[in-house]
Amino acid sequence: MTDNAGEGKRDRAIPGQPDMWVLVLFEALVFTAYFAVYLYHRSADSELFLRSQAQLRPLFGTLDTLLLLTSSLFMLRCAQTARAGAHRTAMTSAYITAFLGVAFLISKITEWIMLVRGGHGFSSNDFFMYYFFLTGIHLLHLLIGFIAIGVIVYQLRGPARRSQELVETCAVYWHTVDLLWVLIFSLLYVVR
Amino acid sequence: MSWRNNSKRELWLAWYSMIAFYNIFVIVFFVLTHAQPPPYPYWSDAQVVFWFSHNRGGLLTGFAIMFALAGLTLPANALIAYSIRRMSVSRAFAYSYLVIYSLAALPGMLLLCVVLSVGAMRPDRDPVLIHWLYDFAFLSYVGTMGIFLIGSLVWMLAILLDKNRVLPKWFGYLNLCNALTEVVVSPAWIFHRGVLDWNGLISWWLNMVVFGIYTSAFIMLLRNMIQREDFGDGPLPTHQLAGTAR
Amino acid sequence: MNTQPNRRPLIILLILSAITLGYLALDRSADSQGTFRASSVVTTIAILLALVKVRFIFREFMQVRNAPALLCRLTDLWVLIIGAALLGSYFSGLAVH
Repeated sequence: MTDNAGEGKRDRAIPGQPDMWVLVLFEALVFTAYFAVYLYHRSADSELFLRSQAQLRPLFGTLDTLLLLTSSLFMLRCAQTARAGAHRTAMTSAYITAFLGVAFLISKITEWIMLVRGGHGFSSNDFFMYYFFLTGIHLLHLLIGFIAIGVIVYQLRGPARRSQELVETCAVYWHTVDLLWVLIFSLLYVVR
Repeated sequence: MSWRNNSKRELWLAWYSMIAFYNIFVIVFFVLTHAQPPPYPYWSDAQVVFWFSHNRGGLLTGFAIMFALAGLTLPANALIAYSIRRMSVSRAFAYSYLVIYSLAALPGMLLLCVVLSVGAMRPDRDPVLIHWLYDFAFLSYVGTMGIFLIGSLVWMLAILLDKNRVLPKWFGYLNLCNALTEVVVSPAWIFHRGVLDWNGLISWWLNMVVFGIYTSAFIMLLRNMIQREDFGDGPLPTHQLAGTAR
Repeated sequence: MNTQPNRRPLIILLILSAITLGYLALDRSADSQGTFRASSVVTTIAILLALVKVRFIFREFMQVRNAPALLCRLTDLWVLIIGAALLGSYFSGLAVH
């Protein structure tokens, strides 16, 4: 295996605080429960769900996914370069992550506005109830993610701070936002 | 060790009061009054009137007990505020929490108790009026979650910033989960049926699972905190030292 | 400096992006001229692919690959749990309705 060669003989350490992993795994379960409810009820009225789903624009969803995946790449770079001591590079990566997150936010809100203008709102029908609920609660997690990036930038700025553990903890949270979106995208846009 | 000399006796009293409160709450709300799980938002006037008359005895008795014992929330909130005071963060956190949660009991519990009692009191009232009381009670209970949300965030922030290791960081993050459940419940204002109504699979049932885990966690953690308490200003000892637990 | 490990995240991103774009092809094959049709096959594939992505994110982006074995196994378990819950709820929904 060549993957450990460049990283050196690093002890196997939990990325970030173990406590954050408790949150990550717990939230993953909570969201899974929401998804399970959605999938179970989908077949109760698949005609309605399919018709409503056709109103979504898959390109939006695809773009959103690519934005968040790329943001995760930069978040990983941020954590890795911070560990290597290249704090300025790490900060740049953090800013790019935030920028991609904002792009996602704009894309999502634009899509919402287009849907609402098209007459499809939160209480229009069951599909859109799930759609706005899941994307809404996800967006809330994204906004919290911006706070996490803020913590990273704050940590990297001051030489007296720079807790690698805190940087990695926040990075783990950000990746969770990406992870949850990957699932949401497949369930809202792709499944039939 | 005799209780008279035990420096932690007030803390233990608060903790046991907390246990007592939650048990009474469960018995009153789930068993006596059947106010939880909440009945359906989409019922007709007739169905709502039937629910009130069917549960009349339980409603009046149960909430009478609740009115008498609601004060047990006081030591519970005080203990949580104490945990925040013991942290290395500003005292403002503890005081904010205390204020928020003291106020929270009013719309978050007592209003429902009062309104449902009013509804049960005179069964021969106009059904439309009874239905109005029903809606008022359950919406006020479910919809005023903003206070609990802010309170959870205050506790979360205090725990995450704390250097005294009073409560573990994972519980700080669990506060975030609890705060988010308050957001998840807010669609109950919009939906009268389905998974997001005030009785919904997501807004109530799933939320209660999260809330149950959260509450069990802090009851356990506060017990652990009291055991470890050394009445100092610095970090709490990691393990409970023999002989100082009581 | 050995640049090989630095390219790994990029390669992972390309794989994940390819899967994401693959979804478009998956849906196009299932839909007939813009009308959406229900399909268990499409749904199952979509969910499985999502789980693959989730596992990649855990292992590569969240660096579980370099974490203690317990975390590796825990996250793998989580992928299984999520998969079981999603597929289970979908198929039981189909069976009931």
